[in-house]
Formats: sequence, structure tokens, C-alpha cells
Amino acid sequence: MHLRNYKNVIFVVVLLVLALILLSYNFKHETGTGLVKKIVLEAAAPVQKIFVLSVKSVSDAWLRYIFLVGLEQDNRDLKKKINELNAELVLYQEGYLESQRLKKLLSLKDSHNYHFVAAQVIAREPAALSRTIMINKGSAHGLKMGMPVIAPPGLVGRLTDVSWHASKVLLFIDESSNIDVLLQRTRTQGIIRGAGARGCILKYISKTQDVKEGEVVVSSGIGGVFPKGLLIGVVSNVDRQDAGLFLKINVTPFVDFTKLEEVLVLATEEEEKH
Amino acid sequence: MIYYLLLPFLSIILVVLQISIADVLFSGRLILEISLIVVIYAGFRLDIIKGLTLAFILGFVYDCLAGSVLGLFTSIYVVIFLCSFLVSMGLSTEKMYFIALFSLFCSFLKEILVILFYNYAYGLDILKKTPLIFIPQAVLISLLAVLFFYLMHRTEGFLYGKAFPVKQRAGAGRLSSAA
Repeated sequence: MHLRNYKNVIFVVVLLVLALILLSYNFKHETGTGLVKKIVLEAAAPVQKIFVLSVKSVSDAWLRYIFLVGLEQDNRDLKKKINELNAELVLYQEGYLESQRLKKLLSLKDSHNYHFVAAQVIAREPAALSRTIMINKGSAHGLKMGMPVIAPPGLVGRLTDVSWHASKVLLFIDESSNIDVLLQRTRTQGIIRGAGARGCILKYISKTQDVKEGEVVVSSGIGGVFPKGLLIGVVSNVDRQDAGLFLKINVTPFVDFTKLEEVLVLATEEEEKH
Repeated sequence: MIYYLLLPFLSIILVVLQISIADVLFSGRLILEISLIVVIYAGFRLDIIKGLTLAFILGFVYDCLAGSVLGLFTSIYVVIFLCSFLVSMGLSTEKMYFIALFSLFCSFLKEILVILFYNYAYGLDILKKTPLIFIPQAVLISLLAVLFFYLMHRTEGFLYGKAFPVKQRAGAGRLSSAA
């Protein structure tokens, strides 16, 4: 019998203890990206890229064929929409320029000097427990843990593991993600917590506050991880029936996480100096 | 020796493959955990040194790529390998219905351990998702396990002329580390 072998029993015990030590150490110390983990991420990135590219080329060819149906009508609708949005854009540009002038008058400066690093999504983690994606840029491109990731127009998440040429992004719909936010209309502050496939939940908004469905939620800038004003989502449901002091608010993210292909990482010069 | 050298690379390819396929087929709703089936297969068919190393490395790679706490799936895969190994010593593991049922059991065991860990460590109540995600996932794993074992049985037959007889009680017939 195998287990009667003395060496085998020692091997089993050693490996089991090693696995448990690894688990308890990483749980207690939140070690981030260790060297071995970096090497695994680095080795997985090209393999993932090959799989994603081959799958994407097949699905793209199929989708292109499907999308040809009804394309003419779509084209007409889109042209109409572009004209409407162009008119709206002019108004926003005026507003932006006005705010820049006012900022200059009041001598206000941006607290961070951001620059964008564009990256491609090379893998999605479909686990029910964590919501992460992998991108093809890493510390060699100036990325560091904690940097915010966006996919215009909205926030995607932040970097949790950074290897040399690949990084892992924790999506803000992950259950362990908490972001300080503002309701754009009323400037009411709250905390948004990820709820997986259900989007996210806005917490700590008092029942006395006037919150309506369709309201835009933006990042508050408090905490220093995410800059102020990044679009997070739209209030999809407000439940006032629940017992307790606070409202139960569901938020639908702006970003469609199932269709992410390219993202932008907001790299700050301040962080790079550290 | 070549087995141990190739194992990390093959584990990475397997985990990446299962993530990519699951993403295409289920848009991230379900996990196609072929790695779990491989661990069960290792428990039934490989000797303890080879199998345990496989379970450890596969779990570690899964931890690195899945974004879970490092060591969680490593520990779970080692536990599942040991369960499979012990079961294969006492029971006949060649019947397909047994493979399907045992894979179902292992899948639930894995989910229970994950739920308990997240509940204890972070206070997350992921049990709410159980009927929506975990049950179809466990059924999928049990069905895939049958297919996987059948294909491996045919592969063994192709490579060695006939499939290895499973005489687990005596330990004979296992694919040993010396092989």
C-alpha cells in the first residue's frame, strides 16, 4: 500500500502543511505580487494572448457577418445620433473651458498629474468569487499596484497584481471592492461596493436623502486611489422599504465588463516618484 | 524528471485554456474547471508523489491566475487529490457513474471549502449564488469528468497498447513516478 511508505507520508504532510502556510501567510499579510506569482503571470500572458486572439478572430468574423444585416438602418440612426451629440458636445466644451478659466482665476490646481497608458485585455477571470481581468502592460510600462483603470466613459477598477509585462485588474464590481463616491446631482457622499454580476450597491446614503433612479454616480476622489469625477454608474433601483437607517441602492455600472477589449491605466507622476 | 519540468508549463496552459473556453462559452458566468477533473484523475491513476505534485502546482497556478488568495486552491486541490487517492484505494473507480458522482462530490466539496473560507475570512455571503452558479457548475464538471476519463482511457490504450488495469488496493497499475 502506498501510504505505508514512510517517505510518501512525509511528502504528503510536508506538501499539505506548505499549502496551508501559503494560504495563512497570504491571507494575513496580503503580500501582493511575489516573484513566483510574477513569473506565473508573465508566463501566462503570451499563452492567454494567443488563445484570446484566435478566439477573437473567429468570433469577429462571425459577428461581422451577423452585423451586416440591418446595417443600413443602423447607419442612418447613428448619423442622426452623431449630429445630436455634436451639438451637445459643443455645450460641454464651452462648460469645460469656462471651468478652466474659473480654476485659473481661483488658482486651483489639479492634485494629480495623470497620464494614460493604453492596454489590451488579454484575459477575463470568470470565477464567481473574484472579478478580475488581465492586461498586457506591466511595471516595464510604468504601471504600479493600485493605479486606477478606466474604459471611457467609466471606471473599470484598479491594478492588484503587476508583473513585468502583464497586470491584473480588480474590477470594481468585485465583492471586495469599495469606492468612495458622490451622487452627481445632489453631491451626496456614499460608498459603492461591488456585487458581482448584480453590478454594485451604493451604501451609507441616509433615508432622508433624495435619490432617484437614473442618477449618475461618480468617484469622490476621497481616499486618493481614484481621481474625482470618474463615471461609475447609474442608480437602477432605490429601496426605501428596508429596515434601517440607510437606503438600499442598486447601481448599474457604465462599463460593460463582458465587452472590455482596451483599457486605459491612469498613471500618476506622483506615484512614480515613490 | 521531464514530467516535473513540464508540469508548471502544462498547468499554465491548462488553466489559461479553461479560463478562455469558459469566457467564450459562458461569458464568465460559469467556470469550466478541467483542472479539478485532472486532480481527480491524478488521485485515481497516478502515484502519490506525482499526483500530489501535480495537485499542488495546478492549484498554485490557478491561485495566481484566478485572483483568489494565494494558497486557497493549492490547499483545496491537495485535499481533493488526497480524497481521490484514498477513495481509489478502497473502491473500484472504473465505472463511469462512479466517476460522475465522485466528481460531483469533489466539486461540491471544493465549493463548500471556498464558501467557508470566504465567509470566515472576509464575511462574504457567497452562499446566495449557490443554486445559480455552483449547482450547474458541479453538474458540468461531473459530465466533463466522464468525457475526460473516457478520453484518457483511450489515450492510455493508444500509448501503451491497452489501458492500465486499475488495481488500486495493491497500488499496482498506477502510473508511477519512475515510469
